[in-house]
This record gives sequence, C-alpha cells and structure tokens, in this order.
Amino acid sequence: MGDTVYKKRELMVIEASKYINDGEIVFAGVGLPVMASTLAQKMHAPNITLVVESGVIDPQLKLVPLSIADVRITRKAAMLGSLRGVLGCILQRGMVDVGFLGGAQIDQYANLNSTVIGDYYKPKVRFPGSGGANPIASHAKRLLIITPHQPRRFVKKCDYITSPGYIDGLYGRKNAGLRNWNPIITVITDLCVMDIDSTLYRSQGSPGSGQLRLVKLMPGTTIEQVVENTDFELIMASRIDVVDLPTESELSLLREIDPEGIYFQE
Amino acid sequence: MRNSKIMTMSEAVERFIFDGASIGVGGMNVVGSPTAIAHEIVRQKKKNLTLLGCNLSIAADILIGAGLVKKCESGTCNIGFRGIPSMAYSARKYYQEGKLEIEDYEHLAMVSRFLAGEMGLPFMPVMSSLGSDILTYKAPSTGKKFEIIDNPWNPGEKVLLMPAATPDVSIIHAQRVDELGNVIMEGFLTHTPEMVRASEKTIVSCEEIISSEKTRDYPEMTTIPHIYVHAIVEQPWGSHPTATARYYGCDVEHLRMYQECAEAALKEGKSGMERYEHYLQEYVLSCATFDDYLEKVGGVSRLIELKRKMREEM
Repeated sequence: MGDTVYKKRELMVIEASKYINDGEIVFAGVGLPVMASTLAQKMHAPNITLVVESGVIDPQLKLVPLSIADVRITRKAAMLGSLRGVLGCILQRGMVDVGFLGGAQIDQYANLNSTVIGDYYKPKVRFPGSGGANPIASHAKRLLIITPHQPRRFVKKCDYITSPGYIDGLYGRKNAGLRNWNPIITVITDLCVMDIDSTLYRSQGSPGSGQLRLVKLMPGTTIEQVVENTDFELIMASRIDVVDLPTESELSLLREIDPEGIYFQE
Repeated sequence: MRNSKIMTMSEAVERFIFDGASIGVGGMNVVGSPTAIAHEIVRQKKKNLTLLGCNLSIAADILIGAGLVKKCESGTCNIGFRGIPSMAYSARKYYQEGKLEIEDYEHLAMVSRFLAGEMGLPFMPVMSSLGSDILTYKAPSTGKKFEIIDNPWNPGEKVLLMPAATPDVSIIHAQRVDELGNVIMEGFLTHTPEMVRASEKTIVSCEEIISSEKTRDYPEMTTIPHIYVHAIVEQPWGSHPTATARYYGCDVEHLRMYQECAEAALKEGKSGMERYEHYLQEYVLSCATFDDYLEKVGGVSRLIELKRKMREEM
C-alpha cells in the first residue's frame, strides 16, 4: 500500500469521513464536507442522515453537487423542506451530531471568519458572510473543520468571528450563552489533525485551555512544518500519531462520487 | 368570476416596487433567483432599495451593480459554486467602496426574523449568533440590532431576541401559480414561505400559470395561498441563470461570466467598470422584456440544453 498515489485533499476527506459514526445526523455544506459524508455513508456509516441548509433532508447523492442549492443535492431525498425546517427544527433543536465548517481565517480557539479581512467597516476584503455556518458552529454537537494549512489562515485572532469555536477560552461559549458549550472540534488540514485542549481530554490532568491542540500529523509531515504554518503557539498532545494512508477502496469510492475530480484539483 | 392578478412584468414592478422600498428576495445561491423581476426593476430604475434575504445571489447583485441598493440585510451575498464560496462581486465592490451597507446576520437569524414577521410578532428568540461578531457590529443606519434577555422560565439562561423582518414587497420565482395567486413551489423552499407571508406585498414570476380549478383539486399542494400574492407574471426561465427545480438546471457558464464582469468592475478600474456596464446594457437595459434576454443568452437551443441538464441530474 506504501506506493498508493493520492492527493492531499483526498486524504483530508478520507480522514474526515472517519469522524462520522453510523446512524448520526450530519449537517454538510457542499464541497469536501459532502464528499466526506458520502464517503462515510459508503464505507462504514450507511445509516447516516445528511441535512443541507436549503431544506434538503436525507438525499442519496450520486454526483458531487456544485453548491448547497444545486439541484444535484436534492437527489432521492426523503424530504425537501425549508431553511427553517433544517436550521431551526433540526439544528437549533439540537439534533445534529456532526456539522462541517470552513473559513478564510481560523484562530487559536477555533473561531472562524468568513466575513471580512481587515476592519469591518473598511475591509481589505469582504467575504460572503455567515450563511448557515454560525448556526452550525452554535448547535452541532461535534464540529469538523476541513481547511488548507497556511499561516495567513491560522491566525492568533480572527479579524471577525463569524462562527464561534471556543471564543476566548474553555468557558467562552458558556459565557456567551451557547447551550452547546463544549463541543468536540476536529480540524483537519493538509498537514495535520487538531482538536481542542479541553476537559473532555483531561488525561494530561489540566482543565484545558480551549485552544487548538496538535494530535496527528499527515503522513510525511513534520511538527516543524505545522508550527511554521501556524501563526500562534500550538498546544501539543502528549502523544502525536500519524494519519493512516488511504486504502485503494477509499480512494476508488471517492473518485466515483467526483469522477471529474472537481474538488481535487491541486 | 374572481379577479385575476396576472399582469405584465412592467406593470407589476410599476405598481408594487417604489423608491426606498424594502424588498424580500427569494431563492438561494444557484437556485430560484428572481432574475426576471430584478431586470425589470433595473429598467425602471427604482432607487434606494433595501434587500432582505438569506443567501442573496445574482438577482440582488444585479440590483446592487446597477447602483439601486443602499442596504442588504442577509445571511450571505454568495454566488459561489463548486464548493467555493464566492462573494457576489457587485456586493463586494460596493461594500468595500463604502457605497453599500450590509447588515450581517446568519441564515437562522434571518429566517427567524421572517418567522416573527409572518406571525405578527415583534421579535423572535434565536439561540445562534451568540458569542460571534454578528452581535458586535451593525450597519450604520441600523438602530437596535438585537437584545439579550434572561430566560424567564430558566433564570441564568441567555436568550437572544431578533426583530421581526417585514419587507414592503417580496420578489420570488416559482414553478406554478394560478390566476388568484396560489403558489405551488417544487424543490426545496429555502426561506421563501416565511418571507412572503411576512411581506406587505408579493410579486411572483412563474414557469407556468395554471387554473385555480386545478389548484382546488389538490389544495394541500399549495405552498403559499393567494392572500399573500399581489402580482403574477408568467415568465418561463424567469430565474435564469440560476435553476428552477424540475424545469431547468443552472447556467454555470453565464453565472461565471457575470461574476467575471462584476469582478472586473472591482479590480480593473475604468475598463472593468465598462465591462460590467456593458453587461447591464447588453443583457438588461437594451432588452425590452426578459424574453429578449433569453434570446441573447442562447435562445431555444441553450434553454433546452439547460432543461436536459436538470433531467439528467435530478
């Protein structure tokens, strides 16, 4: 298996799919999240229910959709409802197990920015804004963030918090009034996998800081590379593992969903 | 015989859209954009508009690019596809140049605001947005954006309140509408039903007009009853270049071309501005009707191709 040829983004998606368990409700945006969910469905989690913010409940995807509102994402769904039906009656109600997120910036507390770079009123660049991201970050029990790893992206403090991670510390979410105050957050990049230094992983004896923590390296990556590409001090887990190489069956299933390789152009 | 609300696009916009109106915009990203109605608003140059919606897409961006919008209240302004979120470029340009206010919310907050509006309530509790900068910043013209209260039944629990959103008029594109204004929508609904019922008036463009006799055979299929609808315009392909479920797929090439023109206006100075103005001139202002536009984007053969695309992908 050592000579299997794969792309970094393919391995990110394959790794992400392993954080989805069978029977769960998964809130996915289009792109790598839908790929990871569909892969999980085909590999080890046939009973997951996908929901999408436009109102789609439980689609059976064949081809990878172009956007969350692409009709491809409605294929063979159990129900086409409304935005309120999904964001209100499923997500805010507390029924979503896993939600996917991304952003232009992510900071040391896993807060995400998809609104502006620079000053809010006089920005360097204006981005689209929250969409469904903020509600996902607020209410999904676990969060999966798939993102490229670059210093300009992994910043100490986001210019604007569109979607809250742990805000400013372990109790940041609790203080802000978020009911779901200690979600499991996993960040998967082309270099590594991170989680949150929190009470949930108290093995080290510390109460946790609510900051990102390095737990796994992508094959062939070094800790130095991760540190170089992160613009804040990253906490290190007591044991740092290496992500498994992709198997032939994982790769071929993934390429079936995206035969044109739309999401894997590097 | 009850009164029919069917009229031409120019009459609908003339009667129900006015300078300074707040407009609820239907559709989301690459589906269901009320493009045909937006084009007519541009031709009639209705000014100082406020746009409300969840994911404001190309219909909104054309109104912004034509210089007719002063403010958006929305979850996103996004025409992204292929998994790449891409800011609608006129919105980006006008915001970055300080010529457009964007009141940033998120989708759940926006739909909750419409939900309050449609039920005649002053505000709605929302449990997202908390801890984010959506609560830190507001647009210059906005008064009180939100309130946080203590849950009376669970002291110590914070509850965020967002004000009702009640647009003067909503603009939407639907699959089928009867002459009374009963709307039958197919595909996912996004925020459209809540937004329409929260609005003072609504203009609906549609793929097909059906008889209300037919609606009454299966009244449970009605998405929005006629009491909320004031103008009906028959305009097949009225959401091109976005898709209409079961009728046609998204014209990705045209959407990309539009975004390139709008991006040029932001990044390439005078020549870029000219390119965008040329788009408006060619595809909107020089067209007497949306049918003229449909001819220019490729006519019958292209439209049939988009129909086939929908069938193959569903």
